[in-house]
Amino acid sequence: MRSEQKIREDLRSFVLAKAADREGAAITDQTPLFEERYLRSVHLPELLLLLERLSGTPIDVEDLNPADFRDIDSMVLRFCKAGATP
Amino acid sequence: MTAVEAPAVDPVRAAELARIGLSWQPSGQAALRGPLLRLAEECDRAFTTLAGIWQAEEERHPASLPARRLQRVGYLRSFPHQATFAARLAPEESNLDAFLDGPVLHQGGDVAVTELAPIAQVLTPAACYHLFNDHLGETFDAPRYLTTRNTCFRHERYYVPLRRLSSFTMREVVCLGSGGEVADFLGHARAALDEFFDLVDLPLEWLTATDPFFRPQANPKYLMQRVQPVKHEATYGGDLAIASINRHHDHFGVNFDLTRGDEPAHSGCVAFGIERWLFAITDRHGTNPAGWPGLADAAAKVRSGLGGGRV
Repeated sequence: MRSEQKIREDLRSFVLAKAADREGAAITDQTPLFEERYLRSVHLPELLLLLERLSGTPIDVEDLNPADFRDIDSMVLRFCKAGATP
Repeated sequence: MTAVEAPAVDPVRAAELARIGLSWQPSGQAALRGPLLRLAEECDRAFTTLAGIWQAEEERHPASLPARRLQRVGYLRSFPHQATFAARLAPEESNLDAFLDGPVLHQGGDVAVTELAPIAQVLTPAACYHLFNDHLGETFDAPRYLTTRNTCFRHERYYVPLRRLSSFTMREVVCLGSGGEVADFLGHARAALDEFFDLVDLPLEWLTATDPFFRPQANPKYLMQRVQPVKHEATYGGDLAIASINRHHDHFGVNFDLTRGDEPAHSGCVAFGIERWLFAITDRHGTNPAGWPGLADAAAKVRSGLGGGRV
């Protein structure tokens, strides 16, 4: 698994690339990404692949919970912390 | 798709339902008459009374809608297993002659079709699709509330009387507006329904749900519904959804060019499956109409409690 800092950087880059059309978008690690429509359904498969790559663990779609994807903090906590439940 | 055996139907209950007006085809169609038909009509009157909370405008739509319009939201790729088509024979006389020269019907009851005309219409999958289609390209300067009822068609692996039908009646109340206006509508709708369920003594549990996508794990729309639940079902007896509250975000607004102000309109709907209400009411209150709750009165009470008009 990569360092937490590197994981956060990769997630931020991903979100900024997908939200490029949002002028002056101020996205922090606490911004609710789907709620505020920075990310949309079309981005999800790619996001899941990215999270699998960053965490080095496959993700079972049926185990997904809404809270897991709220913001970058939640994703890091859920998928990329050593010892986090898979 | 593997064949799945339908759960056994309690013969005593089936006989009781037949006695009060259910005529059931194992292929998934229900005909209603007598007390059960009157109950279905009262359910719908109650739902339109609830729609009156928002002074929702009633619309009536045909049995099918153009596949091209439905595909604006990718329906055929998301639900190919559910889509039911309006099909007819190709009109050339030679084709019709070939049809007449054949058996017309196979022994199993399937029509012995010859060439089919191009299929361009899909039988209504959910009542609200018509609303988005019919208001294509419109701009709203205030939130718009609409209600409609239609017969909806689904393909299921098995059918169960009043619970799982191939064609059934759906009443919907829809709000088109800004994200905030739709969120307010859905919040009020849920509160109104909770009060209504209480008044008619139906114990229901709200559960989050997803739409029945084909190969869901490969469909971004399904993944999105897992990540951000948009569907909440009022569930009777643990597994029978008799109403649902759905938040579409701007999915229909973007794809049907609906705008609220300068932004794509958001939408949300409340949907009622009328035959399932018949199941729940007769299961909870019995098959004697004297024991059924006064649905219309309860709805009127909820409506007046919420200010007798727009909330």
